[in-house]
Amino acid sequence: MTDVDPATQTFVEQWRDHAYSCFSSGHKFCRNVCPVMGVTQDENHSPTAFHANVVAMEQGLVSLEDVARDYVHCTQCGACETRCPNTLMAGDFYRHRTRTVDLVKAMRALAVDNGIEQPGWKRWVDETVRVRSEPVLDVPVEQERVADWADGLDLPIGGETILFVDCEAAFHRTSLPRAVARILRAGGVAFGLMREQWCCGGPSREMGYVDTAREFARHNLADWRDGGVRRVIALDPHDYVAFTEDYVEYFGDDYDIEVVFITELVAELIRDGRLQLTNPVEAVATYHDPCRLNKRRGIFESPREILRAIPGLEFRDVDHVTQWSYCSGAGGGLAVERPDLTAAISGQRLDRAAALEVDTLVSACVWSERPLSRAGTDRGIEVRDLMELVAEAAGLGVDPPGTGGQPAAGGSAADRRMA
Amino acid sequence: MIGFLLSRQEPPEPRRIKHDVVMRFDHVYEVDPALMRTITQDDMPAWDTHRIVAHRWDHLDWMHDHWADDVLSVEDLEE
Amino acid sequence: MTEVLPVGIADHVIDELRGICGDDGVRVDRPARVNRTRVPAPFRVHRWAEHVPDVVVLPRSTEQTADVVRLANRERIPVVPRAAGTGLTDGATPLRHGILLDVKRMNQIRDIDLVDRTVTVGPGISMLKLNEVLRPHGVIYPDDPASYPCSMVGGRIGTGGWSLIGARYGHTRDLVISMTVVLPTGDVVQVGDGGGRKLRKASTGFSLKQLFMGHEGTLGVVTEATLELVPRPEVEFAAFFGYPDYATAYESTGALAKSGFATLAGVVLFDEWKLAYLRRDDEAYVEQPESLRAVVALAAYGNRDEVTPAARALMRIGRETGGDYLGDEVSQGDWAARHDRYAIPLHGRAPDGQVVPMSWHCEDAALNYSVLPQVREEWHAIVARYRERYGIFDDWGMFAYTNGAYKPWGDYLVEIDVGIWEQQLDDEAWEGWVNCKREITEVTLKYGGSISACHGASREGDVEYVPTELGGAFDVMKQIKRTLDPNNVMNPGKYLLDQAYEEAP
Repeated sequence: MTDVDPATQTFVEQWRDHAYSCFSSGHKFCRNVCPVMGVTQDENHSPTAFHANVVAMEQGLVSLEDVARDYVHCTQCGACETRCPNTLMAGDFYRHRTRTVDLVKAMRALAVDNGIEQPGWKRWVDETVRVRSEPVLDVPVEQERVADWADGLDLPIGGETILFVDCEAAFHRTSLPRAVARILRAGGVAFGLMREQWCCGGPSREMGYVDTAREFARHNLADWRDGGVRRVIALDPHDYVAFTEDYVEYFGDDYDIEVVFITELVAELIRDGRLQLTNPVEAVATYHDPCRLNKRRGIFESPREILRAIPGLEFRDVDHVTQWSYCSGAGGGLAVERPDLTAAISGQRLDRAAALEVDTLVSACVWSERPLSRAGTDRGIEVRDLMELVAEAAGLGVDPPGTGGQPAAGGSAADRRMA
Repeated sequence: MIGFLLSRQEPPEPRRIKHDVVMRFDHVYEVDPALMRTITQDDMPAWDTHRIVAHRWDHLDWMHDHWADDVLSVEDLEE
Repeated sequence: MTEVLPVGIADHVIDELRGICGDDGVRVDRPARVNRTRVPAPFRVHRWAEHVPDVVVLPRSTEQTADVVRLANRERIPVVPRAAGTGLTDGATPLRHGILLDVKRMNQIRDIDLVDRTVTVGPGISMLKLNEVLRPHGVIYPDDPASYPCSMVGGRIGTGGWSLIGARYGHTRDLVISMTVVLPTGDVVQVGDGGGRKLRKASTGFSLKQLFMGHEGTLGVVTEATLELVPRPEVEFAAFFGYPDYATAYESTGALAKSGFATLAGVVLFDEWKLAYLRRDDEAYVEQPESLRAVVALAAYGNRDEVTPAARALMRIGRETGGDYLGDEVSQGDWAARHDRYAIPLHGRAPDGQVVPMSWHCEDAALNYSVLPQVREEWHAIVARYRERYGIFDDWGMFAYTNGAYKPWGDYLVEIDVGIWEQQLDDEAWEGWVNCKREITEVTLKYGGSISACHGASREGDVEYVPTELGGAFDVMKQIKRTLDPNNVMNPGKYLLDQAYEEAP
């Protein structure tokens, strides 16, 4: 056996308890709910292996170089750590649960800190640092254009409540933030945009670039504090998780920003009668539970409440527990390093939707919608964001999804309804 | 309140249920922290505890439904 | 790090394997091999390297599997098949390195026949995933072990699995109708109860199907299996009863098991040590009164019209034999959690009471009803002595489950659960553990039991006694092994079957 280097030793000591909590059980309930395992059947990508590697590293059987690439194969969806009996049956009792997501993030950071970088992620993070937003593919991304999606909406800057617009929404699926802005205004929710919105830093953190993530977070929090912001509305689950988990870790007890996820707010508006949904949306739809919303945070009721309130919509549901094993494959940087796996995972998701004979798959996560849409096109299923449907049902107008307000290839059912 | 606020994530102080078991949230048993010196407890915000408990009950419902269309309770047996 | 875990197979063989399984189907990287070594049973972590395979192959078809095995035969390289790797007898843990044959890419559902009521699948599919697909058709494959959420069809066959609801629906050996087996020579055969792939009962030739149930990969690799389809149950009924002492619970178990209701799927007896253990962290038991010393659980499945009257009668029997019904919430909740509560490492307690992560040893002897109380006393006394001496073992109590197929009476899967603090395991403690296992096994045999009801008996602590238990049947076993596997390539070293190749004196 070789000696274990100091950086690895420190890491192993930090993770040993959690590693043995998995390794000493080894029952792999995680594997059936892991979206990556669902397409690769490769044990190297199992949450079990992710934990066992820590023990193996301590034993000198594998090195960081050996395993680093394997940790690419995770969307950080949280299915494994949710389903693991250590969490599900005993995590609350012991205040000690399975933490695969944190482990994957930590192992990726260890790799980066030791000079082992994945080529796609390195390019991605470098570009994010350069333009302060993520290099959402195929679209020119510049800080000056981060609020261009709001053209014509006359949205104020600043205020107590701001709407944070995820990079993919700001630069690619602009129909989403435009719908959200109209909905909030119609519902009487006062809000503004950030003075200078930077990427939330979540993806950088997920890929192992911790310093970059912290820098972005510091900027954003300073922007909020300087503007007297008390509340942030997140329209994407990735941001919601970054703001309520990563930012808590960075800023500790001082962190006093209230973070609201859009579906919770909109469900309340509908419940209170502040938003009327009177325009029928003639579609047969099923709902995709975004991983970070459902598995990671247990938010699955508000989207369904909203869907049931949309007139004209036939909603064919799949319960949120069955959806523990569903995923779009877009998260955790997988779409950047292994787009083939993302496509395969989205393909499986659309196969399941197709089995329900729906024409629409509704998601509440803008990052999921790009790979899901591609897979949907192959199967004649349109992918919409929940808020786009709400805006349509509230008679607030519909923008075509796609890059910068331009129609997506082939048009959409929404286009056809507007014609 | 529908949003997340860090100040609301601190769990309540534990009260003793019995030897080795305490309770902070209603109906949620927890190990006496004195037993967790060899293994350190995670920093677990309130939302995480609630999520795990909700997930557990949802999973149990799912497992019933996976095996049969309906579950008979004792009152269903009454003639 | 090049000197760690060298690949002990020649390059030209690796190339030939790539020719068979493709580049992405052959893996020599250390993580691939290291992570296909242990199974959930307690493991000597410090000796991990001794069990790491040289190469992992992931075939996608019977043909690829057969070609791999033929190659292994020619080159005299061991082959160890692995499905989910969730067995409890080290069946999928190599003893001699070699080729780890991972069947998880053979996970397809090939044929659902609702007329003749069968489904044909690859070995790498989990029963849970299979049943999700079968559900819209109103059928189910009712093989329900504690490992239901993680085990796979191939491993169920390899271990000769047991189902929690076997008293109603049968166990793996009853639910698998026929299989395609790649023999140790690479020849491919169909085995069933005769020749027809979808026939449950025949009498043509030797009854070979059962030979391949529980062989732990020593007689070949299953690459396809045709399985029974059962009507999806309309209703499920579970009832948990509490008792002031073990003796009353034991009598109640017997009464329920003999009740004769066809929908009764299983009866489980929990002893006092199990109750004490459950009181540690199981919300259903944490606040149960100290007067609750034992529990009996039962479950029934079927059509509402048949389960309802059966459930009524079973409730009456349970109560009349001293059982105090623990309520719908505990009964239903605990039944639905039946797969999940076993292997959680933090159930473990060091002698000072501290929570420590322990690996779960699950004893699984098969014993007749008449001897359950005595076995319980003797086993607990053994574990207590070893805990006292080594400090890294923990008694997690005993279960006794109905064990017969289609009948809840007669014999039981008798389980003592022992927690082992793996991080503290060294060679001395491991030897201690093996001795503890040996003593447990000796008690089993003394009372006319079988070492294993379902896990298999190929681990240290069990396997030494297999010849004693089987007597002359072990000689037959050796002859079969030698005949089917002339070069001893399939999982060599398991089940003492090296003895099959020793020349007679």
